[in-house]
Amino acid sequence: MKVIMILILFILHLESVYADAYCSLRDPVAQIAQLYPDKTNQISIVKTVDANTRHQVKIALPSNDLHFSELGEHTLYIAMNNTEALGYVHVRSEQSKWGLVEIIWALDKNLKIKNFYFQRCRSPKRRMIDNESFKNAFIGKNYQELKTLISSDGVSANNKLLDKAKDAPELASVVLRCALKTLLITDILWGEELKKINP
Amino acid sequence: MRIFLLLLLLRSAPSFGDFTDNLRWSLDASARLNKNIASSNTSRIYAYGLDTHKVFTAASGDLGYVVAQLYFTKLSNQNPFPSMFDSENDSQFIVREAHFNYTASSSWLPNIRLGHLVFPFGLEESIDTSGRLLDYSHRKNLGSKLDWGLGLNKVLKQVEYNISYTLGGKDQPKSIDNSYAYSGRIGSLSHLDYIIGFSFFSAEIDGIKRKKIAIDWQYYWSTWGLMGEISLGKDTKSQHKWRDEKYSLIELNKTSINEQLKLYGQYILTNREGEYKNNHLINVGVSYQIDASLELSISSRKQLNTPESGKKQNLVRFQLRYRY
Repeated sequence: MKVIMILILFILHLESVYADAYCSLRDPVAQIAQLYPDKTNQISIVKTVDANTRHQVKIALPSNDLHFSELGEHTLYIAMNNTEALGYVHVRSEQSKWGLVEIIWALDKNLKIKNFYFQRCRSPKRRMIDNESFKNAFIGKNYQELKTLISSDGVSANNKLLDKAKDAPELASVVLRCALKTLLITDILWGEELKKINP
Repeated sequence: MRIFLLLLLLRSAPSFGDFTDNLRWSLDASARLNKNIASSNTSRIYAYGLDTHKVFTAASGDLGYVVAQLYFTKLSNQNPFPSMFDSENDSQFIVREAHFNYTASSSWLPNIRLGHLVFPFGLEESIDTSGRLLDYSHRKNLGSKLDWGLGLNKVLKQVEYNISYTLGGKDQPKSIDNSYAYSGRIGSLSHLDYIIGFSFFSAEIDGIKRKKIAIDWQYYWSTWGLMGEISLGKDTKSQHKWRDEKYSLIELNKTSINEQLKLYGQYILTNREGEYKNNHLINVGVSYQIDASLELSISSRKQLNTPESGKKQNLVRFQLRYRY
């Protein structure tokens, strides 16, 4: 009986959440070091993607939705050099015809794309990410700038980006949608907290 | 004692700020129906528990994380019943995984894990089977799936490793009659499409000694996965004399592009010295994630050869799981 009481008290002490988090780095220590070689440590901030976040994504990016596994807890990592924040790292997954594609995004302190690579991508076209011209279409861009690359259907990349994607138009659109959702959700969920860290 | 240790683990790890910061948790309820056609027995297992993951962070950065899974588990006509239960209708609080992994070591030093760990061995190391019908036979092959102890782990640029020394008490945080277990796996990075790993295991659990080595591999193409594990070793399960044992598993799986539907088929071949023929098993399963919370799974296990007892394994299982 005591054990049940302890368990109930413990549960009541917690906040309510939705489900498991699926979008996290497999090994934050090693993977963040690849994106920020000068980092000495990282700080995790976990936030909940809920129905309200999903609604905001649908308003900002019509014709887009979040995968069911995206509802739940997600982590933004702050890459640190001792006590100085170098930038942020976030992982998001996006559905493709090759299954879920997981992309690790490095963002600078102004929420512009610094770099990115696939954590998981089973498309045979995944080498596209090594194409500098394609990658440079994202690097240094913020949410508004990247939004100019989406076509009128709201889900496909336009010719400005497809020209750089060569024979991988579907994957290029997946990467673009993932980038837009990453920047949008980072701002919605972590924006206020990040302003305190980098006033 | 186990529950006390679990709560101590959650509370004693260094905490900065609110305890609920960076805490993920979900309540996990499942009902499992087992229809053992070979022995004409139907049993049920109900589990209701708390699954938590908390990152502990200081001003200078993350220190590590705790995983703690505590489940109230009720058996109904489950025979044979797992060793932590007293009867086929018993109910117990069960600690599944419960460990703290210290990750703030410098770039080349290993992370240090302490608590109730899954043995790092074979395919199970990179595929989470906790609470699922999918299984890679740790309990049968190694004597237990989990054990209390200490481990070192790290993901490097090209390889990852995980080694552990545990007490051999399984669900009890102590050594029983000089029990112990050394286990380890080194492999290529587990999030890639091609994965290969090498494992070792040396233990004495429940008075049975086991020594094993294994190779495992996984290959993913689009939404298909092909994987296998071969282990060679010996144990003293039969009349406390060493006997050779070989185990091999091959699995083909397929997921839908939105990952709601998962199907798998396994072929398992076991050869034990002294047994007059090989054991051939087929295990097929399907799981459907209805939404972020609700999952339905079904699996069927059939033995292809006729054992000495004359009773072929023939088991159908159904599970409904709800996480919120």
